[in-house]
Amino acid sequence: MKCVLLFICVVALVSPRCVALPNTPTEAHNIVPTDTHNVTPTESHNMAPTESHNMAKTITLNASSAHDNLSGDSSRLTGKNDTHDLLNDGQGAEGGHGGGGGHHGVGERYPVIVVHWERVQTPFIICVWIMYACFGKLGFHLTPKLSHVFPESCMLVLLGIAIGVVLYFAHAATINPFTADVFFLYLIPPIVLDAGYFMPNRLFFDHLGTILVYAVLGTIWNSLTIGVSMYAVGLTGIFGTSVPILHMFLFSSLISAVDPVAVLAVFEELHVDEVLYILVFGESLLNDAVTVVLYNMFAGYSTMGLDNVQVVDIFSGILSFILVSLGGTAIGIVWGFLTAFVTRFTRGVRVIEPIFVFVMAYLAYLNAEIFHLSGLLSITFCGITMKNYVEQNISDKSQTTIKHAMKMLASSSETVIFMFLGVSTVQSSHEWDTWFVMLTIIFCSLYRILGVWLLTAMCNRYRVKKIEFVDKFILSYGGIRGAVAFALVLTIDPQQIPMQPIFLTATMAMVYFTVFLQGITIKPLTIMLGVKKAVERTLTMNERLHERSFDYITAGIEDVAARHGNLLFRKKFKRLNHKYLTPFLVHKNNVMEPKFIETFSNIKMQEAINYMENNDSASNDTKSFTNLLRNAVTHPYLQKNNQGEWNLDVGELEYKRGMKDIDDAKLNHLLSIDYIARRRHQSLTYLRHAVKDDEWKTRNEAMHRNMYLYSRKFTSNTRKQSTRKRVENGEPGQPVAGDGRESFRKIGSDIKLESDYMDHVMAENPAFVDDEGVVTYTRDMPSSSRKRSSHTTVAEAILPWKRYHGCDAPESARDVKRKFSVIPDGGNVIQTMTEVSLPWKRTDNSDQPVQQTEFPAWASNKEYLLYHSPSNTLLGSLGKHESYPNIREIFGRRSSSGASVTAHRDSLKDSLSFAKDNTSGTSLQDKFPSRNSLNESTLYTASLLVPDLSLNMRRHSHTGEHSLLNTTIKEEEGRRDAVIEVIPDREQTRM
Amino acid sequence: MGNKSSLMLQEQDIKDIQEETGFLPGQIERLYSRFTSLDKGDNGSLSREDFLRIPELAINPLGDRIVHAFFKESEDDHVNFRQFVRVLAHFRPIKHNQENNLNAREEKLRFAFKMYDLDDDERISREELLAVLHMMVGENISDEQLNSIAERTILEADTDGDQMISFEEFCAALERSDVEQKMSIKFLK
Repeated sequence: MKCVLLFICVVALVSPRCVALPNTPTEAHNIVPTDTHNVTPTESHNMAPTESHNMAKTITLNASSAHDNLSGDSSRLTGKNDTHDLLNDGQGAEGGHGGGGGHHGVGERYPVIVVHWERVQTPFIICVWIMYACFGKLGFHLTPKLSHVFPESCMLVLLGIAIGVVLYFAHAATINPFTADVFFLYLIPPIVLDAGYFMPNRLFFDHLGTILVYAVLGTIWNSLTIGVSMYAVGLTGIFGTSVPILHMFLFSSLISAVDPVAVLAVFEELHVDEVLYILVFGESLLNDAVTVVLYNMFAGYSTMGLDNVQVVDIFSGILSFILVSLGGTAIGIVWGFLTAFVTRFTRGVRVIEPIFVFVMAYLAYLNAEIFHLSGLLSITFCGITMKNYVEQNISDKSQTTIKHAMKMLASSSETVIFMFLGVSTVQSSHEWDTWFVMLTIIFCSLYRILGVWLLTAMCNRYRVKKIEFVDKFILSYGGIRGAVAFALVLTIDPQQIPMQPIFLTATMAMVYFTVFLQGITIKPLTIMLGVKKAVERTLTMNERLHERSFDYITAGIEDVAARHGNLLFRKKFKRLNHKYLTPFLVHKNNVMEPKFIETFSNIKMQEAINYMENNDSASNDTKSFTNLLRNAVTHPYLQKNNQGEWNLDVGELEYKRGMKDIDDAKLNHLLSIDYIARRRHQSLTYLRHAVKDDEWKTRNEAMHRNMYLYSRKFTSNTRKQSTRKRVENGEPGQPVAGDGRESFRKIGSDIKLESDYMDHVMAENPAFVDDEGVVTYTRDMPSSSRKRSSHTTVAEAILPWKRYHGCDAPESARDVKRKFSVIPDGGNVIQTMTEVSLPWKRTDNSDQPVQQTEFPAWASNKEYLLYHSPSNTLLGSLGKHESYPNIREIFGRRSSSGASVTAHRDSLKDSLSFAKDNTSGTSLQDKFPSRNSLNESTLYTASLLVPDLSLNMRRHSHTGEHSLLNTTIKEEEGRRDAVIEVIPDREQTRM
Repeated sequence: MGNKSSLMLQEQDIKDIQEETGFLPGQIERLYSRFTSLDKGDNGSLSREDFLRIPELAINPLGDRIVHAFFKESEDDHVNFRQFVRVLAHFRPIKHNQENNLNAREEKLRFAFKMYDLDDDERISREELLAVLHMMVGENISDEQLNSIAERTILEADTDGDQMISFEEFCAALERSDVEQKMSIKFLK
């Protein structure tokens, strides 16, 4: 959008200027008609005869293009005969007839091809400009040697000079698109918006005080001292003519401003310490207000004349400074909030989100400019204000769009600015005054250094982190002048101030001096002086969390010590923001510390991506036979489908699905629950402007969702099966599955499982197809699990954490759990296929361990065990508390305790009734006196069974990990409590 | 108030405190006047209520913990000026020339660590972390989310695998952050 604006406007301005410089009216409007009307005809009239044929044509074309742009008869009316002739001439030439002007309108045949150059000329030229600039940039980056030594800005200026020289000798000397209006209205806003929008807010506001001191006091100091010194030197008559002091001040005010564009260009490549960077950069951004005010003030005084300036005027000058800066800031903030507010409602039309950001920021700029307030401050603060809210409102895609568009605009603006600077150097009318130039450079550098030293001494009194010597040096050395000064000097009217050409030359020299000499040397200097470099880091969760708590702590201590600093305002704003602003401006949930979640999901996202990238081929890994075997054996589907045959054929063992399960489950854990896109409604696919990014944002998002669905289905299948199994043989292990289901239901995964996608996946995936090629697990699987949701199941009833409301305190959750690891089956046992098929089952020897059937393949996989899963997923719900065995141990024990299972199968009903009476604790203990010995043998048996697994047991599993027990209790009892109680069972030891 | 406070504060006390904490005499006097203005009961010591009367502290999510930190050393529920200053001394900016063990980086970190570690076992458990998270984040966030954040935080810092963050792990996790600056206050002279 802005690009278009830029185009249109530059078209408007450049087209007349192509012929109109150097004396273009400075108050040129960006309204096309007036401008073109006034300028084009006369200029072309003046110049056409004197120039070569070529040039004349250009001018003609230009004139005609102007006319065409107007598409008005009026222009033809005002245009002189001359122009008309030339116009005709040009058109004739285009037509390929090459001759004079006689072809106009009479008896022409219909042309096969028409060259209509003038229609596209201006946009064409602009595009060529930008293209050249970008080529320059490109070439620069393709030559690493150059880019190592020179900052980019230098190279662009050089390129500009080269082009300027070419144009000069091509007698196109008058093509100078660089005017103050082009600069201030179209070129600089993108750069500043970019700076503001991507401003590190925290850093900026932390150092705002210091930045303001530099920006305001520093600039004033520089202007005054340079002005006075230059004037004093001027009194000696060294400049030939005497310069009035006000003119001197005018010059010094424009020369003293550090230029944000140039500073950005240089410092972005430097990567200095972030504090140093924000100081230099912040200063360059904020001193604009001061510069503009000072400049306008002195320009005003100059026109008034020194004698007429009264004290009142000086005071109004100061007042106007306050107004200009604060007014600009206020306008920016208002527009920023407006933008945020508007984006609150754009959820349906995502495509216009970036437009709002750009246009409203630009409007903030223009709005401030209308009242002669500081547009740069306005757009900077607009960017700063809107960013936090807008980012929460808009979609990820829009965010990327904004980011890239902004960077692109800023970068091309910057490129064009430096190029134009180079071109203008050649084309401007210069008046070289060696002394003036020399003294300007000397005073500027000198007072910059002095100013920085003085102001730093002042700031350091109030700063916790002092600005050190090296920083001071870089601060003063980084005072790079640039296009702002140049644009301002262009706006000086030479009629009023005869010194203008000298000023222009001096400004040029100063710009070149700083951009080239300082720009080139600053890099080696930073290395030499050992300036702290910025460390690229993405915050870890710890850093984010603890640093935030540092803030709170420090703020609290400040309160205690009654020393109110930055943090107080910060905290106050935060509260205000949380209470009033955010709910009003953001449509999402309003969380006190959104950054926590942001960091968290960033980290998660990164991990998931890394995981996917690294593990794409993981499923093809070949593993040992034991591995394969175990995977196959423990895989619930295989067992069911084996029809009693114990198939040891490796070829038929689908190892892959085991791995896939692991992958999926792992991935599911990597992605937290909150990360799953909430699907509200399916938007219509045929909407032309609809960007379907809400649910399937990117490839990764889609992948996440698939994985999510997949693993949900997977776990739910496991669950269903385990439920059925429990009915059949009452094997232990239900606690896990049962509770897993509980937590899943909470997040509404049941609904998700109905999706067609899942069916599709299920049908395609061999893992879910049984021997006859029938899809085994479809959603219409007979399952009692849904029904069971309302009442507690038997297993649940006996679970210790479900019994929390029980009359007698369970002697310990752990003990109860242990008991349940040896719960016998019920009387009416239908043996599963596996049980029948397994060799150790067939022997009917109760000493043989039972094969675990409830657990999916991944549960016995060592890779998975190494992974610490979050609590809200199935794996997390497997008890991992310090006092509880981890999966591995549960497994080990279970498989060995299977012995007792078969032995006491008939007593299930008894135990169930015990459980319901909440007396299961003691009575069960009585029933199984041999439990302890059994448990002791557990690990041993397990390691015999699966030796390689036990090697990979997690060695530190005995502490810390929260258990299912813990979470469940917390969820049931303490859900509404703000503070979570530590459940006091830590003293229990594991077996 | 200022007059009174300097009267009550003995020359010797100032010297001792200066020795111990590194505060300048001017700073100590300033802090003392703050101390007495907080001391509504005028008994030379601060109670918890005195602290919580500070309006900003009352709304600070960690306010309670911060106040608690002042009472770590005192047996009864009162903080005298010595203890008061000693806690504040943790937040003096670190300077190159003057070494003082109260405001060293490690001490600052330890202070922050104690904010989490309520049961003084030198470890931050998941529950302790969650509690602090709850205070800071407030409502509008699901428990699952908070849980996984806490989990993640521990996982990240936990190098010895005990599912808790020990002080060493805490320091290691914050190695890159500018604790010296973040946990410092400019005390006026």
